[in-house]
Amino acid sequence: MVRLPYLTALTTLFSYGLLFVFGQLRDFFRKIIDWSKSTSKGLKGYAPICLGLEDFYTRRLYLRIQDCFSRPIASAPDAWIDVVERYSNDNNKTLHRTSNTTKCLNLGSYNYLGFAAADEYCTPRVIESLKKYSSSTCSIRVDGGTTDLHNELEELVARFVGKPAAITFGMGYVTNSAIIPILIGKGGLIISDSLNHNSIVNGARGSGAAVRVFQHNNPSHLEEVLRELIAEGQPRTHRPWKKIIVIVEGIYSMEGELCQLPEIISVCKKYKAYTYLDEAHSIGAVGKTGRGVCELLGVDPADVDIMMGTFTKSFGSCGGYIAASKEIIQYLKYSCPAHLYATSMSPPAVQQVISAIKVILGEDGSSRGAQKLAHIRENSNFFRSELQKMGFEVLGDSDSPVMPIMLYNPAKIPAFSRECLKQNVAIVTVAFPATPLLLARARICISAAHSKEDLIKGLEVISKVGDLVGIKYFPAEPPNHQGQGHKKLE
Amino acid sequence: MAKLYVHTVPPPDLNKNTEWFMYPGVWTTYILILFFSWLLVLSVFGCTAGMAWTVVNLFHFAVTYYFFHWKKGTPFAEDQGIYNNLTWWEQMDNGKQLTRNRKFLTVVPVVLYLIASHTTDYQHPMLFLNTVSVAVLVIAKFPNMHKVRIFGING
Repeated sequence: MVRLPYLTALTTLFSYGLLFVFGQLRDFFRKIIDWSKSTSKGLKGYAPICLGLEDFYTRRLYLRIQDCFSRPIASAPDAWIDVVERYSNDNNKTLHRTSNTTKCLNLGSYNYLGFAAADEYCTPRVIESLKKYSSSTCSIRVDGGTTDLHNELEELVARFVGKPAAITFGMGYVTNSAIIPILIGKGGLIISDSLNHNSIVNGARGSGAAVRVFQHNNPSHLEEVLRELIAEGQPRTHRPWKKIIVIVEGIYSMEGELCQLPEIISVCKKYKAYTYLDEAHSIGAVGKTGRGVCELLGVDPADVDIMMGTFTKSFGSCGGYIAASKEIIQYLKYSCPAHLYATSMSPPAVQQVISAIKVILGEDGSSRGAQKLAHIRENSNFFRSELQKMGFEVLGDSDSPVMPIMLYNPAKIPAFSRECLKQNVAIVTVAFPATPLLLARARICISAAHSKEDLIKGLEVISKVGDLVGIKYFPAEPPNHQGQGHKKLE
Repeated sequence: MAKLYVHTVPPPDLNKNTEWFMYPGVWTTYILILFFSWLLVLSVFGCTAGMAWTVVNLFHFAVTYYFFHWKKGTPFAEDQGIYNNLTWWEQMDNGKQLTRNRKFLTVVPVVLYLIASHTTDYQHPMLFLNTVSVAVLVIAKFPNMHKVRIFGING
């Protein structure tokens, strides 16, 4: 639920209209001027690689502000990061790297617990496993790619998340897009939240099941949709659905909101639908002992049928996992293509996750895990409340380390991004297609590695740039303001 | 006045080409663009008010016919071309007919026609052109014309 000033909505629509008109004009002139080049040489009879309309957005809108995205970095993504400088001679169509780097405050990496840089417990063990197992198993899991590290990781993940068994994959995106087609096929129904990640959308499309969406985080709309679809049955035959899976995420990465898990689970139980929870951003980052959204909202992990997560965010590694009952995991091991045909996770990456989970659970003999969790919670709440006091529109719930600041107008995206970079703060701005067209935002990810001084510096820079760019849509609140959005859930 | 707020919930429409139309402020922006283009035409050509409305009506006809009923597909490649055979009008609201947005978009050409023909006093060449444009636009928006391609043109 986003609140925006009416005038901003009008001006944003008008700006996009103007950009669209200019893009069409440029395309039109290009067609005329390049007419001679197009009817040429040996490409007669071949279909064009893209139809003219398909890459319109990329050519005419994205390329103009290309220097705000895909910035190369030259160091580990810790609290401070080295960003490589780039220049362009043809108005951002091509960018060239220089060999200079600037040290910037890193407010963009998913480094929730600070494991991205060298850690005193994890790094020596990772180096040891690199020497012992080498950097790749060079094999798929079923052939020779399952080391004892992999087995240890799967047991540890299952124990950490609270499910009987788990299976891991080498890539987080693939975990969703290769598992969903295995779980459900033609004749089934997938109901997914309207703001689900692209990997889930891809997996749902690839499965062959019917896909419907429900309004983001709205359990009553989910119930409505479920009732309507169960009553109608399959599209033409009206037979009952073979299987219904409802897919939601723990923390939505573009909104910073927590899922309304207890209500959604009760709706699903009522109508006998399976639930699939994608905890990519919430595992390890929220909850008293870091066990994710289920712990934070008081939901028993046994109530969620399939829990999925990735190791890239809080654990500083790469890969993903699925945790479910023993029978489901056994079935996945026999049939999932990501297990049968894809190379297994790299052993040092596995060791990094094992060590990170041990630190979080406190099994390394220190309380660093609990300290990191407390630190990230305090940092997130402090940062969010300060931003709201300054008058920015910040989305997301309390305790969530992801906070998007709304920008709306397309011109403010590059303005905000470039100004912040000039003042040595590295911010990630997100525009279409990752977000709806009109709701462009700058997304901030807080880490346990940020110290209070870092956060204060970040706040100063953002406040100054916010004034310059004009995104303080709400009046600056006096110190005892409640803040919009959900209250702290406990 | 500048601080009137509106609430918006992201609409449950998977097609990113049409979901921007479900946000608040779209109708007002559309009407304001028509009004300001009328003022622009008046100031550039210095013609009568009626001529200016006719020019706006015909220009509106050309632009909306091209973008709503001629161009097919979406301007981005992420949806892998599942809408490549559908015009923007057919993609709107996921193919559901007679929604509020569709009714609004059907009424706008009619209102423009009434304004243009009234301010030109129903004189001949303008009346004919205006009538043709409103007829084509309104017929193209009928529910029975969903996915219909006359003589296979643009199929």
